[in-house]
Amino acid sequence: MRTPAAAIAWELRQRHRWGLIALLATIFILGAIKIAVLATQAHPELHDATFALLVPVPLAATSLYLLAVFTFGIAGDLAARESMYPPRMLTLPVSTAALAGWPMLYGCLSMTLLWFAMRIVCIFPPGVEIPKYWPALFAASLLAWTQALTWMPYPFRGMRIVISIGLLVSIDVVALTALGTRARESTMLLLLAPLLPLAYAAALSAVRRARRGDVPDWGVAKRLAPASTRSAPPRDFRSAARAQLWFEWRQFGRSLPLLVAIVLPVGLSLLFLFREADVIVVEIVVASLLLPSFMAIFVAATAGKSSSNASESYGITPFLATRPVEDRALVVAKWQAALISTLAAWVIVAVAVPVALLWSDAAEPILHIARNVDGALGRPRAIVLGLLILAGLVASTWKQLVQGLYITMSGRDWAVKGIAFATLVLVTLGFLALGWILDSRYRIAVALNAIPWLMAAFVALKLVLAMRVMQRGAARGLFTRRQLISGAIAWDVCVLALYGVLTLILPAILFRRHFLLLVAMLVVPCVRLAAAPLAVAGNRHR
Amino acid sequence: MAAAEPVIAVSDLTRRFGARAALSSVSLVIPRGGVYGLVGANGAGKTTLIRHILGLLRAETGSVRVLGRDPVADPAGVLSRIGYLSEENDLPGWMRVGELMRYSRAFYPGWDDAYAGELRTMFGLDPAAKIKTLSKGQKARAGLVVALAYRPELLVLDEPSSGLDPIVRRDILGAVLRTIADEGRTVLFSSHLLEEVERVADHVTMIRQGQIVVSAPLKEIKNAHGGASLDEIFVERIGGI
Repeated sequence: MRTPAAAIAWELRQRHRWGLIALLATIFILGAIKIAVLATQAHPELHDATFALLVPVPLAATSLYLLAVFTFGIAGDLAARESMYPPRMLTLPVSTAALAGWPMLYGCLSMTLLWFAMRIVCIFPPGVEIPKYWPALFAASLLAWTQALTWMPYPFRGMRIVISIGLLVSIDVVALTALGTRARESTMLLLLAPLLPLAYAAALSAVRRARRGDVPDWGVAKRLAPASTRSAPPRDFRSAARAQLWFEWRQFGRSLPLLVAIVLPVGLSLLFLFREADVIVVEIVVASLLLPSFMAIFVAATAGKSSSNASESYGITPFLATRPVEDRALVVAKWQAALISTLAAWVIVAVAVPVALLWSDAAEPILHIARNVDGALGRPRAIVLGLLILAGLVASTWKQLVQGLYITMSGRDWAVKGIAFATLVLVTLGFLALGWILDSRYRIAVALNAIPWLMAAFVALKLVLAMRVMQRGAARGLFTRRQLISGAIAWDVCVLALYGVLTLILPAILFRRHFLLLVAMLVVPCVRLAAAPLAVAGNRHR
Repeated sequence: MAAAEPVIAVSDLTRRFGARAALSSVSLVIPRGGVYGLVGANGAGKTTLIRHILGLLRAETGSVRVLGRDPVADPAGVLSRIGYLSEENDLPGWMRVGELMRYSRAFYPGWDDAYAGELRTMFGLDPAAKIKTLSKGQKARAGLVVALAYRPELLVLDEPSSGLDPIVRRDILGAVLRTIADEGRTVLFSSHLLEEVERVADHVTMIRQGQIVVSAPLKEIKNAHGGASLDEIFVERIGGI
C-alpha cells in the first residue's frame, strides 16, 4: 500500500468484508430470482408484498448498509455532539481533503454501482419506466450529505439525528416527487449535480473542525439551568442501585425524551397547515403516537453500551465491570432507566398531542373517531380499548429499548451484527413466504388454519428457551430460586391480564379464546429479558 | 477473613487467547500487608493476571481467590473490598469530578468523605470539572481518589505510572502506598518503571511470557544478585525476549 487512498480503501474493505460479501450475495440472489421468474413469465405481475420484498426492501437495506459503512457510523454514538469521524484517522499524516474526499469518492462510487446493479437485477412492475441515471446521482448525493452531517460536530446532543432525519425525509420527498411527476433525466441531473460538490465542501469543513477538536457549545442546558442548581453540591444516593440507575439515566436514558421533545413539535406543527384535511390530521396523530417506539429503536443501539466513548465495541468497560454490584444489578439499572425514559417520552407525547390538537383547532377528526368507537363498542369497552392501545404503545417503547440488551450487553460485536443480519434474512424470507401465500386462495386458507399451530409452536419454543435461560442463570448464581418463582408469577399475571383484556374487547366470534391466549403468551416478553443478565455475566467475566 | 489467609491466592492459572498462552500455570500467593510490584515486559501477562484477580476474566484452568472469595462467583463481595485504578483511564467522560465521587460513594459503605476531600485537594482536582476535559494525568488522579477513598483492603493499580506525572508518582503515590501498607492493607501494582517499583515495593514478582520467573521480597532478590539494581536484575532475568 503506497498511497493513503489505497490504505483507506483497504481498511474499509477489510473491516466490512463480510457485510460487503452479504451485499454481493443479495444482488446475486435477486438476479437469480429474476432469471427464474422471467423464465416463466415475460412480463411478471408481482403481488404488492413480493414487489416490496424484491425491490424496495433490498434497495433500502443495501443503501442503508453502505451509508453506515462509508460514514463510519456503524459503531458510533449517533446522538453525540462530537464528530463521528474516527479520531484515529484524524491523526494520519494526510491532508484533510484526502480524509474527507477518499471515503466520499468510494462511497459515491459504491452507491452508483449499487443502483446500476439493482436496476439490472430487480423486477420492476411492467409499464413503469425506471429512470436510468439520475437515481445513481441521487444515491451518491444522499451518501455524500449523510457523510457530511455525520462527520459534523454539533452544539447539542441528539441534533445529528434530527438533522439527518430531516435530510432523509426531504430527499425522499424529492425522489417521490420526481417519480410521481415523471421528471426528465436531464432535469433531475441538473438539479442534483450541485449537491455533490456542496456535500464535499460541507464534509471538508466537518473533518477540518473534527481535526481541530472543535465542538460548538451553545450551552443551552447551562443557560436554562438556574444558577443555584449549577453550583449546588451533589446529593447523596440512598443505595448503589440508585447510583447505578442515575448512571444509566445520564448515559442513555435522557436521549429518548430529548429526541421526542425535539422531533414531536416539528410533526405536530403540520397540524396547523393541514387542519382542514381530516385524513392528514389522523395520520399526524398516529405518527406522533408511534414516534416514541420509533425513536426507541435508535436509542436502543446505545442503551447496551457501557460507555458512550466505547465507539468501537459493546464490551463492558473496566470502570463499569469493577462496580461492586451483582451482574443482574447492572441490567436492572438499565431496565429501570429505560422505564423512566419511556414514561418521560410519553408524558411529552400525552401533553403535546392534545395541546397541539386544541391549539390548531384540528381535534374534530380525532373526536369523530372516538365517537364512532364509543358508539360501536360502548363507553366502557371504548375506554378500555383506548387505555389498552396506550399501554401497548408505552410497553412497546420500553420493549424496544430493552429487548436487544441480551445481544448488545454480550459485548460480542459479531453477535450484534449477526443478529441484525439474521433479522434481515428472516424478514426477507417472511416477505417471500407472504407473497407466495397471498398468490393463491388455497394457500391463504391453509395458512390461516396453520396460524394457531405455528403460534403454539413458537410459544413452546419460547417456554423451552425460557427454561434453558433460567437454568443457566440459576447455575451461574444469577437468579435465586425465589427470583425465578417471582419472575414466573409476574409473567403469568401479565399474560393473564392481557388475555383478560383481549377477551373483553375482542368479539369471541372472530377470535377464539385459545388464539388470544397464544397472542398474550407471545407478546409478553420473557426470554430476551431473562437472557440479559447472562449476557452481562459472560461479558463481565470473560 | 482469617489473618493468616492470603489476600490473593492464584493457583495453577492458565489462560489462552486463541493459540497464544497469556498465562501458563501461574501460582501466586500474596499475604496481607505490604506493597507488591508486578513487573514484566509489554505483553508478559501482567494485565491478564490483574483482570483475573478482579474477576474480569474467568479462570480457564486453575483457581483465583481474592480475600478468600471467588471474584467471578461473588463480584460484589470481592470488588467492594478492592480499590482499582485502570490503565485505560476509562472514567465516564460526561461525569464531573464531584459527580464521580458522589456516584462512587454509593457503592462503598466504608467511603470516608473527609479522606476523599483531602485526596481531591491534594491532587488539585476541581469538583465541577468534567472528566473529559481533564488531562490524562488528572484523569489518573481522579481514578486514584475514588480507588483510595474507601480505604480498600486491597488496592490494585494497573500501570499507574503511565498516567501520573513524576511529582505525583514520587511524592504522593509513594507516600499513599506506604501509608496503606503501614496500616496493614495490601497494594498490588504493575509497572514497567523499575526505579519506581524498587523505591516503593516490598516484594517483587517478575513475569515473562505468561510465567512467573521470580517472586520474592525485594531485599532477597537484590541480595541474591549481589545488590544489583532492579533494572539490572530485570534485564538479566527477563531481557532478551
